Amino acid sequence: KMAAAAAGSLRRAGWRLWRGRAVLRCQLSVPQRALQASAVLRRVSDEQHKEPLASSSQQQFDSHPADQQPEQEPQGPRPSYTGQGGQESEDYESEEQLQHRILTAALEFVPEHGWTAEAIAEGAKTLGLSAASAGMFQNDGSELILHFVSQCNTKLTELLEQEQKQVQLGEAEKKPLDQFLRDAVEARLRMLIPYIEKWPQALSILLLPHNIPASLNLLTSMIDDIWHYAGDQSTDFNWYTRRAVLTGVYNTTELVMMQDSSPDFEDTWRFLENRVADAMNMGNTANQVQSTGEALVQGLMGAAVTVSN
Amino acid sequence: PAPGVSLRLCSTGGAPGGINKPVIERIIRVDHAGEYGANRIYAGQMAVLGRSSVGPVIQQMWNQEKDHLKKFNDLMVAYRVRPTVLLPFWNVAGFVLGAGSALLGRKGAMACTVAVEESISDHYNSQIRTLVEEDPEKYKELLQIIKQFRDDEREHHDIGLEHDAE
Repeated sequence: KMAAAAAGSLRRAGWRLWRGRAVLRCQLSVPQRALQASAVLRRVSDEQHKEPLASSSQQQFDSHPADQQPEQEPQGPRPSYTGQGGQESEDYESEEQLQHRILTAALEFVPEHGWTAEAIAEGAKTLGLSAASAGMFQNDGSELILHFVSQCNTKLTELLEQEQKQVQLGEAEKKPLDQFLRDAVEARLRMLIPYIEKWPQALSILLLPHNIPASLNLLTSMIDDIWHYAGDQSTDFNWYTRRAVLTGVYNTTELVMMQDSSPDFEDTWRFLENRVADAMNMGNTANQVQSTGEALVQGLMGAAVTVSN
Repeated sequence: PAPGVSLRLCSTGGAPGGINKPVIERIIRVDHAGEYGANRIYAGQMAVLGRSSVGPVIQQMWNQEKDHLKKFNDLMVAYRVRPTVLLPFWNVAGFVLGAGSALLGRKGAMACTVAVEESISDHYNSQIRTLVEEDPEKYKELLQIIKQFRDDEREHHDIGLEHDAE
């Protein structure tokens, strides 16, 4: 029994050394992150194997990697997930978390390979996984794009949250509404710049019928977030009008950005400024239409009374 | 090959943590629509019967509904719930119902009030039941509000009966 246990430990030690070598060969990513990834995967595979091993010897081996590199929280936003109930422990990573990390790593390769399985395969390799793990995802790169959009939206929300805190603390001035909307949309669109060559491809994939629910959901919650931080408190139909208008502004500006070749996309930002100004005027125009309508009705009533007399 | 686990993608929401968001959102949205409709019903009734003897009674009930609506507006902003898309419809339908029932005379108006308030308080009761089944402690504030409103609506119902019977 002891021999079997020792053999098991040696097998795992050899497995880890091999991982370590494979990681050293890949110079692309931060070695620490990759080692941590392999450490996590080790434990995942350990749990899957469920070796009935004396816990003491297992701890012996686990303590060595822990000495060499301290556990860190993975970089990047932690995605929310429903969780696996009682199986969660500190060193257990769910499949969803792993998928998120692979996709994040894959983004680096999008400018070269596009939103494709190749990019995902390259990303997986930087984490010390085999390229075949790209098989976890669909072939058309949908998940990679949706993951990227979700990540950008989260970054935008964090940025807006931070700005709001600064205003609350008195460190910054509260922006007028049109400038707030302009800055929020610009900040969000600027996140596309590193991937701008391949973004038209992504847009067309997002419009595929099976992706529309997810992409629409992401779009609407992003627009809702922007209005929330802009201070919108409408509880009537304006809620819908404002969001529809801003969605229109965002989408048209995004399309203009695809065609823009001006330095630092200044044509796009000028287009954005004009569209936001139009949106602001829309409110005034609606009021004017209503006043005119009311005046007309009063005039007609007056005319009717006059005629009836 | 289709993935085994589909990724859950969501942008961050802004509600107080740990609550059952879909249930709360639905409750607030429906209640907001209900109070909005009730407001419009009373507005319709006042437009016809405002100058009659029963005017002040309707006005008082209307004022309480306005308070209810204001409270739900606040809750809607706090929980970041979207209003119902049918608001313009309730706007017109409520007013027409109020004005129509008032044109039948004060008994008609009161009968309408009784019927509407009856169904509203039933509706609030089932919501209270839902929330209590979920977690009375977590939803204490919301439960308090809904209970108070349910009592107000029952009062309106009783007032309606009083004036209907006269």
